[in-house]
Amino acid sequence: MLIEQLINGLTLGSIYAIVALGFTLVFGVLGIINMAHGEIFMFGAFIGVMITAMFDAPLWVAFGASILITAILGFFLETFALRPLRNKPGVSHLAPLISTIGVSIFLENLSHHLFGSGNKPFEAPFAQVSFQVGSITVYLVQIVIFVISIILMVALSIWLGKTKAGKALRATAENLETASLLGVDTKRIITMTVIIASAIGGIAGILVGMAFNSVNPQMGLSMGLKGLAIIILGGMGNVRGAMAGGLILGLAETFVVVYGDSGYKDAIAFLAIIVILLIRPQGLFGKKITT
Amino acid sequence: MLAELFNPYYLQIGCFILINIILALSVYVPLSTGQLSLASAGFMGLGAYTSALLTIHFDLPILVGIIAGTLIAGLIGILIGLPTLRLQGVYLAIVTLGFGEVIRVVFINWESLTNGSVGISGIPHIGREILKTLKGFGFNPQSMGLQNNQFIFLSIFVLLLIIAIFLVWFFRRQHYSRVGRAYAAIKLDEKAAESMGINITYYKVLAFTQGALLAGFAGSIYAHVLAYISPADFSYHRAVDILVFTVFGGSEVIWGPVFGAIFLTFLPEVLRFISEYRYMIYGLMIIILMAVRPQGLIDVNIINWIKSKKRSKRGVTHGSGSEKSM
Repeated sequence: MLIEQLINGLTLGSIYAIVALGFTLVFGVLGIINMAHGEIFMFGAFIGVMITAMFDAPLWVAFGASILITAILGFFLETFALRPLRNKPGVSHLAPLISTIGVSIFLENLSHHLFGSGNKPFEAPFAQVSFQVGSITVYLVQIVIFVISIILMVALSIWLGKTKAGKALRATAENLETASLLGVDTKRIITMTVIIASAIGGIAGILVGMAFNSVNPQMGLSMGLKGLAIIILGGMGNVRGAMAGGLILGLAETFVVVYGDSGYKDAIAFLAIIVILLIRPQGLFGKKITT
Repeated sequence: MLAELFNPYYLQIGCFILINIILALSVYVPLSTGQLSLASAGFMGLGAYTSALLTIHFDLPILVGIIAGTLIAGLIGILIGLPTLRLQGVYLAIVTLGFGEVIRVVFINWESLTNGSVGISGIPHIGREILKTLKGFGFNPQSMGLQNNQFIFLSIFVLLLIIAIFLVWFFRRQHYSRVGRAYAAIKLDEKAAESMGINITYYKVLAFTQGALLAGFAGSIYAHVLAYISPADFSYHRAVDILVFTVFGGSEVIWGPVFGAIFLTFLPEVLRFISEYRYMIYGLMIIILMAVRPQGLIDVNIINWIKSKKRSKRGVTHGSGSEKSM
């Protein structure tokens, strides 16, 4: 029982971690909160549903399609909502935040019109496959989700740490002007970051569809808010913090459902950030903020 | 004659416009210190539920309920504001957003008190109470040529109009006072303001609390005008609605949120056929506004332009400039 719940919590937590990764990448490089990330994630989930349900395509095609679509959405987000505000005199630091809220409202309501407002089931071909290990039941879906998210996190860490593009991205995050003086094409790096973050959101969308077997236009909002809570929990712009924060939240929510009141599940994330801001404002893994 | 003029439907839209003006102010005031608060919907809900529950369960007069609702929202505003305002703007936006969600989740789950997601109905209605009181004094709306229904909405409208005008006047005065100058200084540069001897924590918490009080007040009025509230009334979408009023109208001068609230409450009523696409249009509007005119439609330049127009007109007709300012 306990171990089963632990597995459930880890599955949920690894999804949260991936959602939070998208937020933290954009915040790290641009210093802005991308409020539209939740909706891009939701679009990814819906594209997955459409591809698997309507065209009977295998799962990897669904992954490919939703990565493609969310990457395109990320490109549009950067071109229309973020770039016009950058380096413009007289624009307050809240402008990009409000602008991405605009994108999120637009995308949420667009999806109402495109996909309908109800729940859509997500049929993963191996949804019911499970193993019995002793007295514990483990679903194949859970393993797939966990493995994919681990691969994603490791790949991202290696990419950020070892490759030239990853180093350029970190340099841009450190200091945009200096990076550009040293020959980094910061404009390209920024666009690339938003696109990659969005594509990661798309992957997370399909994983959530598989995990909960349902997809609806409102899920972007609730998942987006939790993603925000996680990056505050783990420390803004901190990749490792996002992963750890996601896992902590996933486990906490699962155990509250089991041992407490399931209705308050969605409030935990925010109670946690209020507490964390009181005790350790920079987040669990963040660097000290000087205000 | 009067009866045709005071169509209850128009009066009700008028009431919503006035409530929305107060709500828009609740975002404008914290924003005038550079803090983006998305908690207005949450504070509005706190005010609404407090007032509704007090008047229903304890038979308190509506006035007491409204004052209690406003004060509770303000108190929670101080409690939330103190720890979070030490942090930078983005944190505040997220925490206030999260706070709104926590409030909503509590409203849904505390079923014994709030009746869950079904909501509370049968909340005492301000207009009916006014009518009942006046009837106690032997007043009959028919003597003014009005139906009961018309009188009810007319009385709310007039009451709200007076309150809204008072609030706009108050915050305009405040803008030119010591407090308002402190707000403006903090918005421009916190460090510079602090080194000039302005207690920035005090003024930031003050602005945030003023916003919370306004939202709580608007919420308790809302409960007593609609007579029915549910947690869905105070969701993220309400927060976005309120934010759009201020962002669209402009957050530099007080006429911005006022104009935004009037225009955007009126627009969906006039353009019924696009109401289905309302939020999509809102979304596009925010994106375009931020890219083209991040200060909102009405800014200082427009106000000055209107002022100079007025002045030159007066100069022609009366031969002398008026001392009165806008």
